[in-house]
Amino acid sequence: MSKTITTTFSHLAVGVAAALGTGLAVPALAAETTWNGYVENATYFRDGVGLSKFRNTGQAQFETVFQTDSLRSLKLNGTLRGTYDGVYDLNDGEFGKDSRHSYLGENWHSNSTISSQALLSPGVSFPCENDPTLCNNLDGYMDHKERDAKFPDFNDQLDFIRELYISADKELSNGDLLNVRLGKQQVVWGKTDLFRVLDVINPVDYSRHNIYDELEDIRIPQWMLTAEWRMGPNEVLDDSNLSLVWNFDKFRPNNLGTCGQSYRMLDAGCFFSSYLNLGPGIPIIHDVEEPNWSLKNTQLGMKWEGVYGDTTFSLNALTYRQQLPSLHFRPNPTVPGVPAFDGVFDIKFPRVNLVGGSIDYYSMNMDAIWRLEMAYTQGEELPDDSGHHETDMLRYVIGFDKNIIIPELGTRSAFLFSTQLFGEHILDHIGTMPNDEDNWIATMLFKGFYKNNRLSPQIIIAHDFAAEATAIAPSISWTPDNHWMFNVGLNVKTGGKETFPWGVARDVMGDNSGQFEPTARFLNGPIGVANQEDEIQFTVRYSF
Amino acid sequence: MLKKTFLSVAITMTVAVGAQAAAIPEEVIQASFYPYKDGVPSVEGLTPGMTINQSNVDRFKDALDPGMYHFIKNGDTEMQVGETTSFDLHPSYVEATRKYSADVQLGAGHGELSPTIAGRPFPQEPSLDDPRAGEKLAWNYKYGYNWGDSAAIMPFYWTMRDMDSGKKERTIKFNFHFLNFTHRTSQDPYPKIEPNPSELFRGTYVQALEPFDVKDTQLLIQRFEDDTKVDNAYLYLGFQRRVRRLSTGQTTDAFLGTDVMIEDFEGYNGRISDMNWAYKGTRYMLMPFFSHNELQLDNETHQDSDGYQVVAFGGQGGCFPNITWQLRKVYEVDSIPIDQNHPISKRTHFMDAQTFTIPRTVVYDRKGDMWKNWVIGQAHPDHHLPINKGTGVAIDDAFTMIDMQAKHCTTGQFKGIVDPALSPVDKFSVQNMRASGR
Repeated sequence: MSKTITTTFSHLAVGVAAALGTGLAVPALAAETTWNGYVENATYFRDGVGLSKFRNTGQAQFETVFQTDSLRSLKLNGTLRGTYDGVYDLNDGEFGKDSRHSYLGENWHSNSTISSQALLSPGVSFPCENDPTLCNNLDGYMDHKERDAKFPDFNDQLDFIRELYISADKELSNGDLLNVRLGKQQVVWGKTDLFRVLDVINPVDYSRHNIYDELEDIRIPQWMLTAEWRMGPNEVLDDSNLSLVWNFDKFRPNNLGTCGQSYRMLDAGCFFSSYLNLGPGIPIIHDVEEPNWSLKNTQLGMKWEGVYGDTTFSLNALTYRQQLPSLHFRPNPTVPGVPAFDGVFDIKFPRVNLVGGSIDYYSMNMDAIWRLEMAYTQGEELPDDSGHHETDMLRYVIGFDKNIIIPELGTRSAFLFSTQLFGEHILDHIGTMPNDEDNWIATMLFKGFYKNNRLSPQIIIAHDFAAEATAIAPSISWTPDNHWMFNVGLNVKTGGKETFPWGVARDVMGDNSGQFEPTARFLNGPIGVANQEDEIQFTVRYSF
Repeated sequence: MLKKTFLSVAITMTVAVGAQAAAIPEEVIQASFYPYKDGVPSVEGLTPGMTINQSNVDRFKDALDPGMYHFIKNGDTEMQVGETTSFDLHPSYVEATRKYSADVQLGAGHGELSPTIAGRPFPQEPSLDDPRAGEKLAWNYKYGYNWGDSAAIMPFYWTMRDMDSGKKERTIKFNFHFLNFTHRTSQDPYPKIEPNPSELFRGTYVQALEPFDVKDTQLLIQRFEDDTKVDNAYLYLGFQRRVRRLSTGQTTDAFLGTDVMIEDFEGYNGRISDMNWAYKGTRYMLMPFFSHNELQLDNETHQDSDGYQVVAFGGQGGCFPNITWQLRKVYEVDSIPIDQNHPISKRTHFMDAQTFTIPRTVVYDRKGDMWKNWVIGQAHPDHHLPINKGTGVAIDDAFTMIDMQAKHCTTGQFKGIVDPALSPVDKFSVQNMRASGR
């Protein structure tokens, strides 16, 4: 159960008042603080590998509500998290700084193509502890040390502060509400599960558990200012509001996982810490050009949303940075067609402009919910044969949710059936891009409830059509009381068989056939590249 | 919506071209709102202060609903008898009935009603000869004074219990808020709040506070004036941080795993048009009406600075509220789902004739067997929190929903507060759910 503490604040109150310009001039504010949280152990075993996760997490969150007559509400929220993943101590032969790989991509494909046999070296685990050159080149991005993987929340960005923000509501003279929220926070747009279309304001830490953890736990909170003008109903709309979000934090990209970690999305970390086997070896990455903090490098978004009858909608616009790395080829200044000897690619994160919207609709005839979400972007850079190619992108999701009572399955509780089709269209597609011009990923969730919802089996299936890759994740959770939760699940994947020709193999070795490395990882996607990560997963959580 | 507009026009024209309906006779008003003015009912041998238990329950079988009779006969609980007291509704609601209800008529279709403004739509005594008497009583319930124009339950403890062992499995702590957008009589503005483009009748907003796994879960139900329109229901899940629409399948589902469906809230929380309503007769029955301040209360579950304590529970498995029961005038009404796939075959409601609350409901499964018993204890507002005095609201104060087949129950302990400041209009919006979440 949560704990409530009543106290008074003086300096903080004055600071809050000043920050919000409310003219609040009281010497002290009565405040009530509520704390709660959990401790959790997640232990996962991977087929053929052994222990793949022994993650121990403690999280506490608090909310302090200040009593004030000047504002409708004034709150301070915080979430603190500490994580220790013992897999690097308990299975250090497979994961960690001492782990070694016989060839690049050995964790997801055979060594049957020339690219990983001869052209590319295996990735170096935790390069900052094994290879000073790579460490220097990757400076600032996926250059974690083993300690960072063991204790991912404790770093220079103070990630143990998951959230810390002040939120204030001010009632305007016409009855509208103005909300201002300032601090480290997550801002969630859109209506999609598992994949992100509009929910792109916060970057994501995929090294925690690929795409499978709740986004709440893997979004990387950012220092942001949000302002919402809640207009409420008018003669046409039942609800309407306009919000602005200013992400003034230093840009942070998605964390895909450093080579040597147990979860590394697309195995990108190992590719970035490998060498092209020409001469003494050319580092794949020469430099990571993360944008420095400056006003023009901050990110800005706007959303208008409302409710019209049976329909809720939003219109969104965002100028931000691509959160996935874009590889920019570095030609050799003296030898045409050959990369620079001090590194093949620079990693950049281009500016992206997004417009989009979402809508959901309740169909009375079907007694079901339809969801549609769409985003059009300009400025994204996708991988191609020799680096990157800028293209406009269209992403969309069609979702369908329905609750179904199936007495034959032994419960009077309704089952939740939720399915969605995530589509991606590359507007300026060229043949040397590994990604199809159009691709779709379908997901399905079927979840049941027994014993007053304390026993809940579910199955999640995701299928990537272009990659011909499928993930199947059945699980069952048991919540015996207010404190304990036990979950056991399987996570099984297939796929990872797709290859794609690589210009270097053609030019250097005369091999024009499909290669696994390096670009087929983009075609096989996060499901296909994880094809050897079949796991049984146990989680136990105690909440307080 | 269009259908209702046509109906309204048709009825308005009928009224316009015909004679103006006569005012409701004052004796009808008096009989409807003050049934105990000339004396309280009695049953031979039944006296305030006595206890009905396994040994004497058969003597009072006619004064008990079948569910409570079963539990007492089985030794699961005993019933303390209290004095019958009048729960006078707020005078503004009575006056609105005088002013607006003379012209109210059922529409031709099921779930259709002529335009109403406020007050009890059908204050006349129901008749067994009237095939639509049950429907009229259902409308009286829907537009009843209930929680008044707005109120909050802060906090609201729901405890899931094993009836055999008495083990408390889970306790969920909520805040509930209610607001009438229309049919308002006592809180400014009345009779309606504007703008209201979708013509909402009522909003119910629920926020889960504890335990951690459901913390920040929020539910918003918007009911329309047009009863043929399905409620809008929205759910905010804390871990997803976004608002999801709910299909109605979830309104007949176990709400957060409790024994209560969303459709069960307050006795019945659905459309009139979802059910066939059958009036079965008027009875004098023991009903869970009491004075909160005169009970032995639970001093463990909730403490706060004003000293308020919630109703205690006892009996088999701790499934029964420790309250007193009054002999009261009751309308027995069956509601039978029109949807053949509905998880129940019928509910038998025992509507309190004076307040038109539904403090007792017996739920039957699809085979027709008794499945659940729903008790919502009503506290007199003048013997509760000081702020509730004079509000004329029968305060929902303790509930139990007992699943007799699973031997399981969910109990509810309330702190009901009739204070419009706790339930502003913007609390009943989708945007508020996003803003109130993390």
